[in-house]
Amino acid sequence: MTAQDPSPAGGHGTRPADERSAPADGGGSGGRDHRRTARPSGRRRPLTGSLLARRVLGHAATYLVLIVAAALTLGPFLFSVMTALTSTTQFAQEGPLSVPAPPVLDNVIALFSSEDGFVTPVAVTVQMVAVILAGQMVFSVLAAYAFAQLRFPGRDLLFWVYIATLMVPQVVVVVPLYLMLSEMGLRNTFWALVLPFVLGSPYAIFLLRENFRGMPSELMDAMRIDGAGTLRLLWHLVVPLNRPIIVTLVLITVVTHWNSFMWPMVITSGPEWRVITVATSALQSQYNNNWTLVMAGTTLAMLPLVILMIVFQKQITRSVGDATLR
Amino acid sequence: MSSRRPLLGWLLIAPSLIGVTCFLILPVVLAFVVSLFRWDLLGTRSFLGLENYASLLRDGALVNSLLVTGVFTLISVPVSLAIGLVLATQLVRALPGSAIVRVIVVIPWVCAPLALGVVWKWIFQPSVGALNQILGVRIEWLTDPSLALPAVAFVAIWQNVGYISLFFQAGLSRIPGSIYEAARIDGANVGQQLWFMTIPLLRPTTFFLAVTQVVASFQVFDMVFALTGGGPQHRTEVIASLIYHEAFEASRLGRASAVAVILFVLLVVITVIQQRWFSRRITYDMS
Repeated sequence: MTAQDPSPAGGHGTRPADERSAPADGGGSGGRDHRRTARPSGRRRPLTGSLLARRVLGHAATYLVLIVAAALTLGPFLFSVMTALTSTTQFAQEGPLSVPAPPVLDNVIALFSSEDGFVTPVAVTVQMVAVILAGQMVFSVLAAYAFAQLRFPGRDLLFWVYIATLMVPQVVVVVPLYLMLSEMGLRNTFWALVLPFVLGSPYAIFLLRENFRGMPSELMDAMRIDGAGTLRLLWHLVVPLNRPIIVTLVLITVVTHWNSFMWPMVITSGPEWRVITVATSALQSQYNNNWTLVMAGTTLAMLPLVILMIVFQKQITRSVGDATLR
Repeated sequence: MSSRRPLLGWLLIAPSLIGVTCFLILPVVLAFVVSLFRWDLLGTRSFLGLENYASLLRDGALVNSLLVTGVFTLISVPVSLAIGLVLATQLVRALPGSAIVRVIVVIPWVCAPLALGVVWKWIFQPSVGALNQILGVRIEWLTDPSLALPAVAFVAIWQNVGYISLFFQAGLSRIPGSIYEAARIDGANVGQQLWFMTIPLLRPTTFFLAVTQVVASFQVFDMVFALTGGGPQHRTEVIASLIYHEAFEASRLGRASAVAVILFVLLVVITVIQQRWFSRRITYDMS
C-alpha cells in the first residue's frame, strides 16, 4: 500500500481505496434484464423486441427517479435565488412563484449597504474559518505525527482519551463553554469564536494518524540522516505524501465552521462579531415579511459552499469513503 | 519504525492536548457540576443537589423533549435511509447524466442547516409560501401542532438523503456484479435480488449510517431553531432546543446542564452499543 493511498486503511489492512471508484456494473440490482428464466447463453444474444422494450423501460424508470430527485433537491434553491432577484414590489403583487422580470440586484445591494448588513458578517465568518482552519490543520498534523511516528510514555492512553472525546457533542458542552469563556472575559470577542476549536480536532488527528502510520519509514530516516528537523520533515515529506486526506479535512473543516450557528449565536451579541448564519437568522426575525431580502441573505450564506462543493465534488465524494472506514 | 523521542512527542501534542482538556473534557465535567446548582446567566448560584433532574421530570419538559427527539429520529432516519438506498441503486447504474445528479443531491448537505431552515420556513408559509401556492391549499405547516414535527423531519430528510446515498453508492460498488449474474441465472427477480442480496450485503453500510444518523438527529438544533424555534406548544422542542431555551432564554443554566448530562449519557450508551455491534459485524465485511 502506497503512502498516497487516500484511505486511512494503512494500519488496519482493510480494503483498498480504489473500490470506491469500481465500476458500478451489476451492482445496482436495478431493473435491468429481469427475466425469470434466464438461459446461460441469453446474455450474448442480440436484443429481441421485448427485451429491448424492458431495457428502455428500466432506463426510463431510473431517469424518472433521478429527475425527480434532482428537481426536489434544486427546487428550494431555485425559489430562494429567484426570490432574492425579485423586486419587492413585484413580489408583493405576484407572490412567491413569480419569475423575476427583470431580475434585480436591489436586495443584494440592500443587504450590503445597510448598517446591520452582511459586510461585517461575511468578513467575520471568513476570518473565523481561516483562523480555525489554520490552527486545526497545523496542530492536528503535529499531534497526528507524534501519535503515528514517535514513541513516548502515555501515548496510547492519551490517544484513547482523544478517541473518547469524539463522543462529546457541541450541544452538551455549550453551557459550560459559555460559562468558561465569559469568566475569562472573552464573551463577544473574536477569540471566543475560535478558541474552542483552534487547537486541533480529535477527529482530524484520528484520520491523519491512520494515514501517517502507513508512511514508508525509509524516506523519513533518510531525511533525518540528512539533518532535517521535524518541522522540515513534516512540511516537505509528511504533508505532501498525505495531500488527499488533508484536502478532505480542509473541506470538512471549512463546511463545518462556515455553517456553525449555535456557538457563535450564544457567545456573541450585537452586530460586531456576528457570523453569517447568525446574521441570516437575525435578518429573518427582524424583517419577518420581507422575504426578498431574507432570501438574498440565505442565498449569500449558502452560495460559497455550493460553489466549493461543485469545484471539489471528487474530494467530497471521497471523504465519504474515509468516514466509513473509520 | 517509530522512534523514541519522549520530549518531542509531548511537545507536538501539547497544543491539541490543551484544546482537548480545556474545551472538551473540562466542559463535560463542568456540565455535571453545574447541573447540581441553581445557576443563572448573571452568575448567581446555589447548590441544589439533584433538584434540577427532579424538576425536569416533574414538569414534563424532559419527557416531552425525549419524545419529540425520539419521534423525529424514528421518522427521519428510516425514511432517509430507505430513500437514500433507492436513489443509490439508480445512481450506480451510471447512466449518462447521472454524474450530475450525484453532485446535485449532495448540495443540501454542504449548506448551513440554519439557512436551509429559513428557506424552508418561507416555502412553508401559509399565505405567501411556495408550497401552498403550488398545492393551491392553505395549510399551516409549521404552526399546526400535529404537522410541525413531520414538517421538520421532512426538511431533515430532504437535506440528508443525497449524502446518505453517497455511502450506499460506495457500498453497492463493493458488491461484485458476478453474484447478481448468478442470482439471475438462478431465476431471482429484481425484488428478490434487492431483499435477499443487496440489503443483507449492505448491512455494514446501513448499520454505520443508522448509528451516525441516530446520533446526529439526537443533536439536531439549527434547523429546528430556524423552522419553528421549538413550537408550537413545544411540539418540536428537541433536546438541543430545550438546552438552549433553558440556558439562554430562561436563564436556568443548571437545568440546561442537567438536560445536557442526560443527552450525553444517552449518546454514550448508543455509541457503546454501536461498538459492541460493530466489532461483531466486522467479519461480515466483504472484500
